Amino acid sequence: MQNKIFDRIISLLIASVLTGAGAGCAELQRVAEGAARVSGNEQLARMIHGGGTLVSGLLPIGYEEEQSIGQAIALQVIARYGGVFEQGDLTRYVNLVGRAVALTCDRPDIAYHFGVLNHDSINAFAAPAGYVFVTRGLLSQIRNEAELAAVLGHEISHVSQKHILAVIQRSKQVAGVTEAGLAYANQNPEAFKGLIDAAVKKLLDEGLDQDKETQADALGDVFAARVGYDPTAYLALLNRLRALKGDDKAFFKTHPDFSARIKAVQKVIDSEGLKPNGMLVSERFARLGKRL
Amino acid sequence: MRRRRRVTLLSMIVFTGLLAGLAAAETVYVQATTAKLRAGKTSLDTVVADLKFGEALEVLRKEGGWLEVRTAADVKGWIFANKTTATKPAGGDDFLAKLGKSMRRKEASEVTASAGARGLDKVSEEYAKRVGMTQQDRDAVDRMTAYKLTDQEVEDFLKDGGLGEYAK
Repeated sequence: MQNKIFDRIISLLIASVLTGAGAGCAELQRVAEGAARVSGNEQLARMIHGGGTLVSGLLPIGYEEEQSIGQAIALQVIARYGGVFEQGDLTRYVNLVGRAVALTCDRPDIAYHFGVLNHDSINAFAAPAGYVFVTRGLLSQIRNEAELAAVLGHEISHVSQKHILAVIQRSKQVAGVTEAGLAYANQNPEAFKGLIDAAVKKLLDEGLDQDKETQADALGDVFAARVGYDPTAYLALLNRLRALKGDDKAFFKTHPDFSARIKAVQKVIDSEGLKPNGMLVSERFARLGKRL
Repeated sequence: MRRRRRVTLLSMIVFTGLLAGLAAAETVYVQATTAKLRAGKTSLDTVVADLKFGEALEVLRKEGGWLEVRTAADVKGWIFANKTTATKPAGGDDFLAKLGKSMRRKEASEVTASAGARGLDKVSEEYAKRVGMTQQDRDAVDRMTAYKLTDQEVEDFLKDGGLGEYAK
C-alpha cells in the first residue's frame, strides 16, 4: 500500500518534470530521482534522469552555450576568409556603426562584436552570440554609413532571430543528441565538432533558408532606419550589386537573387512607413570606412 | 429577479468600462540598453531619469518621434520612440532556454564561469585545438570578443552623425 502511494507521488513528479512545470522543473526532477533511488528503484531513478536529459536536449540553446557555438563558428569564418583585417580606426568605426544599430535591434542586451574579413569577395556573415563580419570586398562597394548600417543590421538580425541556432537545434534533434550543449561538448568534443561543422556548412556553403535572408533584409533595414539612417540607402547598395553581378545565383548562391531582395526591401519600407529622408553620413564613411 | 438582472447588467457595464480603461493606457518597454528620459522632446533637454532595459512606461502622448511617458516611479518625461517597443523584450535567454540550461545543470555553470568578455571560452578553445586553428585566428576571435566600446562612446558617435535622438 505504502509502495503504491509512493509510486503515485513519483509518477506525479515525473509528469511535472516531463511537462515542464516551470523554473522549479530541474529541482523537481532531482527530488523525483532521489526519491526513486531511496525507494530502491534504481531503474526508475535512471529513467527520470534520462527523461530530464532528453527534454533538456530539445529545449532551446542558452546564451552561454550560444557563446561557445558562436566563437567556434567565428573561428571557421575567420580561417576561411583570410583572417581579420585589423586597422585601429576602421575596427573602431565598424564597431561603432554596428553597436548603434544593435542598440535598437530586437535583442539589444547581448554583446555584439564586429570585424572586417581580409577577403576580396563581396560578403558578410554572422555567427551566434553576436559575431558579425563584413569582407573588405563588400566594404569597398559601400558608399555611405547608411548602407553599412543596413548590411550590419541584416547580420545582426540573423543573431537576434537566432537563425543559425535554429539550424543547430534542428540537427541536434535529427541526430538524436539527447545531451546537447556545454555538458555534452565537455564530455564529447567530437559531437560538438559535428554540430559546428554542420552549421558552418549551412552558413558558408549552402546558405540559410531564403525566407530567413528575406527576413534579415527587412529587419536589418528597419533597425538601421530606427537609428536614423536613410532606409533607401540599402536599396541603392542592392541595385549597385545587381548591376555589378546580375542575378547570378552562383555568385550569391547563399541568398535570394538581388531583384527579389530589392522588391522585398521596398515592400518593407512601404509597409513599415520608413521615412526616406534619413541620414546617409557619407563624409564620415569616406573618412573612416574606407581605410582598406 | 429583475433587480438581480439589473445588477448583472450594471457589473457588465463597469467591467467593460474597466477593460476600455486598461486598453487606453498604452504601455511600452525600453528596448535599448541606454535610454534617457528627458524633460522635453529634444536631445538638448535635461535628463530627468536613466531608464533600464525592459522597464515598462505608460504612454501619455506621442509627438513626432518622441513619446511622453510616466515611469513606475511616477517620473514623467520624454523618450525617443525608437528606444521603446510594444512587447516586453525577452533578453539574453528566453524562458525555455533558461529552463534547458537549469536542466543541464552544473556542467554548464562551471564553463560559464570561464566564459565572458575575455576571449575564447573553454569549449571553443578545446574546439580550436581539436580542429587545428592557427594561433593567429584564435587571437583574432579573442580580440574581437574583448573589444569594448562604452555606451557613452556610442552616444557621442550618434551625436556626431546627427543620428537617433540627435537628428536635426
